[in-house]
Amino acid sequence: MSMLAGLRVLEIADGLTDFGGRMLAELGADVAVVLPDSCTNRARRLAWHHGKTILSPDDRQAIRKLAVKADVVLDGQRNGDRFGLDEAVSDNTIYVRVSPFSAEGPYAGRPATDLTLFALSGLMHVTGEPNRPPLKFPGQQAYALTGIQAATAALLGLYARRRTGRGQKADLSAFQSATLANYREAIMYEWTGRIGRRHGNLLVRGKSGVRQIWPCKDGYVTWSMIDNPSMMRAVVSVMEEKGAAGELSRIDWENTLVANTPQETIERWEAIIADFFAGHTREELGNWSLKLGWGLSVIYSPEDVRDSEHLKARGLFVTVTDEETGKAVSVPGPLFRSAQTDAPRRTLGKPVPASTFTGWGEQ
Amino acid sequence: MGALDGLKIADFSWVGAGPRATKDLADNGATVIKIESRRRLDLGRLSPPFAGDPKDVDGSAFFAQTNTSKKSVTINLSDPRGIEAAKKLVAWADVVVENFGYGFMERIGLGYQELKKNKPDIILASVSVAGRTGPMAGFRGYGNSAAAHSGHAWLTGEAGSPPQMPPLAYGDVVAPMFLTVAILAALEHRARTGEGQHIDVSQIEPMVHVIADLYAQDEIEKTGNDDAGFLVHGVFPTLGDDQWIAIAIENEAQAEALKRTLGIGSLDREAICAATSTEDKFALFDRLAAAGIPAGPVLDGKNVFENPELRATGHFVKLDHPVLGPSTMPAPPYLLHGTPARVDRAPCLGEHNREVFVDMLGLDAAEVEALIAEGSLA
Repeated sequence: MSMLAGLRVLEIADGLTDFGGRMLAELGADVAVVLPDSCTNRARRLAWHHGKTILSPDDRQAIRKLAVKADVVLDGQRNGDRFGLDEAVSDNTIYVRVSPFSAEGPYAGRPATDLTLFALSGLMHVTGEPNRPPLKFPGQQAYALTGIQAATAALLGLYARRRTGRGQKADLSAFQSATLANYREAIMYEWTGRIGRRHGNLLVRGKSGVRQIWPCKDGYVTWSMIDNPSMMRAVVSVMEEKGAAGELSRIDWENTLVANTPQETIERWEAIIADFFAGHTREELGNWSLKLGWGLSVIYSPEDVRDSEHLKARGLFVTVTDEETGKAVSVPGPLFRSAQTDAPRRTLGKPVPASTFTGWGEQ
Repeated sequence: MGALDGLKIADFSWVGAGPRATKDLADNGATVIKIESRRRLDLGRLSPPFAGDPKDVDGSAFFAQTNTSKKSVTINLSDPRGIEAAKKLVAWADVVVENFGYGFMERIGLGYQELKKNKPDIILASVSVAGRTGPMAGFRGYGNSAAAHSGHAWLTGEAGSPPQMPPLAYGDVVAPMFLTVAILAALEHRARTGEGQHIDVSQIEPMVHVIADLYAQDEIEKTGNDDAGFLVHGVFPTLGDDQWIAIAIENEAQAEALKRTLGIGSLDREAICAATSTEDKFALFDRLAAAGIPAGPVLDGKNVFENPELRATGHFVKLDHPVLGPSTMPAPPYLLHGTPARVDRAPCLGEHNREVFVDMLGLDAAEVEALIAEGSLA
């Protein structure tokens, strides 16, 4: 039996709750979702809404009745409450209202999207190249982060309900959810007065910056020259075997603080390493790292991720079928490994009019 | 009253991937005992920024913000008497959390099968870079390894550009959020069935999940800041050095409003840039919001720290800490009206040894002092 089997969740989606509802559905909850008219992106529908019952909101009263029956309501309407859910929910319901900003703060009621929320999080300012505009993370990370917090708030309410016997209302801010992910920039300013900037793929620590991305024979790897003497010795010993270590052989890594080494020296050392990496494949470098503890990772393309033997062994990707088009796609399924999870429906269902939905008993 | 009042957590995790999840639980009322050791310090205690001396194990603001509301005890897990104390804590707990290297918990007799023998409904929650099963189960990486292995780094940036690493260990952010959800779901399952379980969270898999919409596409491409579903979707320069505003136009009504507000005739990037580049980003945010246009200034660390919305909504709470002094800590992004969270300061190393070992577990006070002095509880 899945962990949340039988839990009734009504979700009014518009980006903010989509992944939260998906998490609850993956854990076995019976999620009925109303999508906004603007949700025409098929990939997003498949990724975030498979395994849910999709309701077309033909009858406002029917949606309100479902809100009464629901254990959890995830209300992610970005443009006002078109169903009057606030009054409709029962005392037993955990009603999670998710908004771009707080309900009463200075930004209350302002319009927002994933991009504008990510810009406000402080993460965008430090992502990308110094001479280029700030860059967002791939996908819709502000929405994803908010969705996870929505699922968390719902489950916290559920735990409390077992003790108190009552549901409750919760307000969740997407701005705060996205900003919470930025664990470094505000605190660094508070304690050092320094304001972070974009450094591209340079990892800046102390007085110098070290590279993070390296081309190799058949792609890219990520690795950095950091103050870890055993790791540096492990890399240099293989370079010595291959006759490629140059002056790196003569460096006493135990007594060298990379963070305080002049930038031009670091760049000279990195040029030697760049030549070495460029002459080897991702598999060779990845295997050395796994065996010898280099701390290097191969940069996987999406195709590599799908083809990963490791992720196949763990059953991450599942096939989801779109019932309207018959199309099947491969997307991530289980959230984590546990003996207590049954696979939910792997379909993106056709919309069901809310007025005729009887999945939770007669309306 | 917090949502998780009465819940008991034995937290063996360190640095970021585990502690951020147990912070969620502690801020919401769970009693979280953080098991640390002076012999193997939580690297978070050695991470900047520091209040003063970087060698002061209680002076890291990084550690303090990641470990709010917890209690700290010191146990030397390489000492059999330390392991015995750890077993007593585990017997007390509802949930055990760990992010050790592969096989460590089994080696010290705290693997799931052992825990289950003594307490059948125990929940063991593990988080690691690649998970506890599969060919990469023993993979030792760091927070950004998950960005490399998930496609995240490959997909960041403009079309045709090299991979781009995130500016922080994003895997250490997303994975603990999954861990929190997993633990709460496992608690619900236990309440229904009486069954415990072993939860195995990988850092790579959550990083794939949060870009599931890209994996659902027919052809996965890097798009930088673009989004084909929007009429405008990008960042635009504003007045000052490296100052920007993000604007996202979802429909024709917003498009017309943007043209009117900026006094431009078209939505070409050049036209928008010309109009925004003479404006203050905050003033422009106010004007665009008033016109119903989704926008957001690109905030830097100072802007985030000083942001009026975050200040007004209690995103940051000011707490007094014995070493850091008054300092700002992040609170949960939600307000549960019936059971609100309460954020307390992070513990000093071993601060709760007596309270936990003597008052809570009932060990003899003199024996505890001796074990501390001999290095078993250190």
